[in-house]
Amino acid sequence: MESAIGHDALGDLRRARRKNRLADLDWFEAAYRVYLVAFAFGGTALWASGFVKDSKVSGGTIADMFRHGPAIVGMTAVVALAAGLRSGSRGGPLAIEEADVRHVLLSPVDRRHALLRPAVQRARSAAFGGALVGALAGELAGRRLPGSVASWALVGAAVGANLAGLFIGGALVAHALRVPRWAATATGVVLLAWQGAAIAKHVVGPANLDGSFALWGMRQRGTDIAGPAFTLVLVVVGLMLLRRTSLDALARRSGLVAQLRFAVTMQDLRTVMLLRRALSQENTRSRPWIRIRRSGRSAVTWRRGWHSLLRFPASRLLRMSVLAVGAAASEVAAYKGTTAMFLVSGALLFLLGMESMEPLSQEIDQPDLMSSLPHERGDLLLRHTIAPMVALVPFAAIAVAAVGVIEKSAGAAAVAAVLALPTVWLGAGGAVVSIVKDAPDITSAAVEQTMLPPEMSGLTTIVRMLLPLVVSVIGSAGVLLVRSAHRAGSSELGAAIRLAVAQLILCALVGWWVRRRDQWRVKIKGIMAEGRDATAQQRATRAQSSRSTS
Amino acid sequence: MSEPSRHPKPASRHPKPDLATTTAAAASRTKSPAMSPRERNTTAPDRTIEVRSPAPVTGGALAANDLTKNYGDRPALAPLTLLVPIGQRVAVVGHNGSGKTTFIRMAAGLLDPSGGTVHVMGHASGTSQARSALAYLSDTPAFYDDLSLWEHLEYISRLHGVEEWDQIAADLLGHLGLYERADDLPNTFSRGLRQKAAVALAFVRPFDLLLVDEPFVGLDAAGRTALLELLDQAEEDGATLVVATHELGYVEKVSRLIALRDGEIVHDGDPTGTDVAALVAPPA
Repeated sequence: MESAIGHDALGDLRRARRKNRLADLDWFEAAYRVYLVAFAFGGTALWASGFVKDSKVSGGTIADMFRHGPAIVGMTAVVALAAGLRSGSRGGPLAIEEADVRHVLLSPVDRRHALLRPAVQRARSAAFGGALVGALAGELAGRRLPGSVASWALVGAAVGANLAGLFIGGALVAHALRVPRWAATATGVVLLAWQGAAIAKHVVGPANLDGSFALWGMRQRGTDIAGPAFTLVLVVVGLMLLRRTSLDALARRSGLVAQLRFAVTMQDLRTVMLLRRALSQENTRSRPWIRIRRSGRSAVTWRRGWHSLLRFPASRLLRMSVLAVGAAASEVAAYKGTTAMFLVSGALLFLLGMESMEPLSQEIDQPDLMSSLPHERGDLLLRHTIAPMVALVPFAAIAVAAVGVIEKSAGAAAVAAVLALPTVWLGAGGAVVSIVKDAPDITSAAVEQTMLPPEMSGLTTIVRMLLPLVVSVIGSAGVLLVRSAHRAGSSELGAAIRLAVAQLILCALVGWWVRRRDQWRVKIKGIMAEGRDATAQQRATRAQSSRSTS
Repeated sequence: MSEPSRHPKPASRHPKPDLATTTAAAASRTKSPAMSPRERNTTAPDRTIEVRSPAPVTGGALAANDLTKNYGDRPALAPLTLLVPIGQRVAVVGHNGSGKTTFIRMAAGLLDPSGGTVHVMGHASGTSQARSALAYLSDTPAFYDDLSLWEHLEYISRLHGVEEWDQIAADLLGHLGLYERADDLPNTFSRGLRQKAAVALAFVRPFDLLLVDEPFVGLDAAGRTALLELLDQAEEDGATLVVATHELGYVEKVSRLIALRDGEIVHDGDPTGTDVAALVAPPA
């Protein structure tokens, strides 16, 4: 029986902390952040909606949606639940401060009472995020489907919240029941396979009701409520089992999550990915898949790269394969007319590149070590990209195979074979830009950036954040040129070859930027310093002449 | 919230704190069928209890049964069975990576064992009764970013059911030389001051068992003396102390020495005449 000791103290503690935080809050800055987020989200929504035609879909398509939609959309619910189970088996989904673990959870306060609030907050924020994305998707769907846009947005929000609930509820329950990782993975795989069978063979899938609920914008069936009701029960059960939360997991995650939040604040994607891996306890293999000879004569950066790459765990290799397949499927979808999918493909290739560039990331994380080496930093960084780029070749092959399976056409596979590697490399080029731009600036130009007016500083931040993705997306956008060639009746293979050459040139440009970046920055800094000196000299001369005149 | 100007002054200028109220609070609660510290004071403690026992042990202040911990394939702690009687002062020594911190953290409930069980004052580790009886002083203190040291002391003592905490807190801060820093944020302190603040947080609440991990790291001479006095006082008041340390000098003050090597106990007994340096030497 847990005691009720300290409940008042816990309430007072939270109130005092809230008061202290609010006292320190810069309201203007907070409002500015909200404005930026709203602006970015609204802008993205408007821009994305431009890709959706306003013409309504045909009756045949709607019939197809009723037939296949529940199973296909249900797959997202299964993915959310499987991801939740996986997260829970690895200690998720809660992350609280280390001080809370040490002082509150080690005190005789009822742990369920202490954890209920952070758990509800976690569920609430996940549901809000899911609802926001769902509402946007619903709004886009409502433009082409029968039913009002508002009702589709509402249904989309409910579906998004439902998916978030499945994730959080699954994670809470898996954590409380201490489901072993293998069991969580096995359950997830079984559920995914079952839902996959529902899509392919039209059997009843485990999440068909969740999928059917997503069609409420044009068809309402009472039984569909069972899906969200199950989610609600799952979340409530998870909250009831909070007392069984592992302090071990909370203590481990607390430090990582604090770093993760800081990395997100700094838009440091590389660190975010690194910490996500640490959170899910995805550790590097202590024994490499293949042991490299100790006394190899090859270049040291090449060897260092392979020492890292050959220690990737199976789960990471699997994730990279899934990213490659996802990118390939998105490219096919873009080729077939869903233009916006090239953005998805670009994002997936960017993530694939971030995964593969581990040796480069590790070097960036050790700036003191690198600066102590008797080598030009740019040259060294460029050399660290070579092994990861070679390691991406099998994933390009996986993408080609995926296109072959999806399209079942030798012509499509041939085009994919020509385009896959340059596209994957350019996707990784975006990742390289993202990683290298976060390297400590040897010219300390960051100080000058802080002297920029806020409007310019914000713009610079957005450009810095988006530039890597733009590089990756340029690579994935190539498929649109092949599509244009197809529509114009010219050779797709010829267009693909020309495009591949252009992509390789862009890759080389990224490499050139990596190699010369420091030198360019030194030059720019020198020019700026000269300018400042000249201005100061002019001012001094003017002041002297005005004094002599007076 | 207490205003800084309202903080009670330390009871006297004498550096020794008045810990009677703290330990009396600990003794006033009966948490387990085992002896309470006060009861123990009226009965001669049995400091010669055999530690290794084939039968499960649940009594005493700390009882571990076949306790193991693996990190991946690597065992950090071999199956470990031991009993620490109430009121005993124990030092746990060993080379880096020998399993001291792993053992202490599992006993505190901060680390899930791979196998086996831990009981604190007869209660399974992690239960509210065990948490109520146990104080844990880590070598890596954790503080809230937005609370002053005084606010930390207030909430931690109140979370442990101590309502009359002001004077205890003031005495502790005075003893540790932190009274003037009471209204500062401990996260802005230096390494040594953070450790002193952590000591204050560990001692401000009642406990029957104190688990300490490398308590002397970062402390100056005055801080070490103050901590040793607090530990002596706690022992006098009947608390059980288990201290993992590299400070071989501290071993002289304990009645029992446990040495770990590669996760296994290689010595358990009276430290008198023991070559401690040899025990903590890393394996060849």
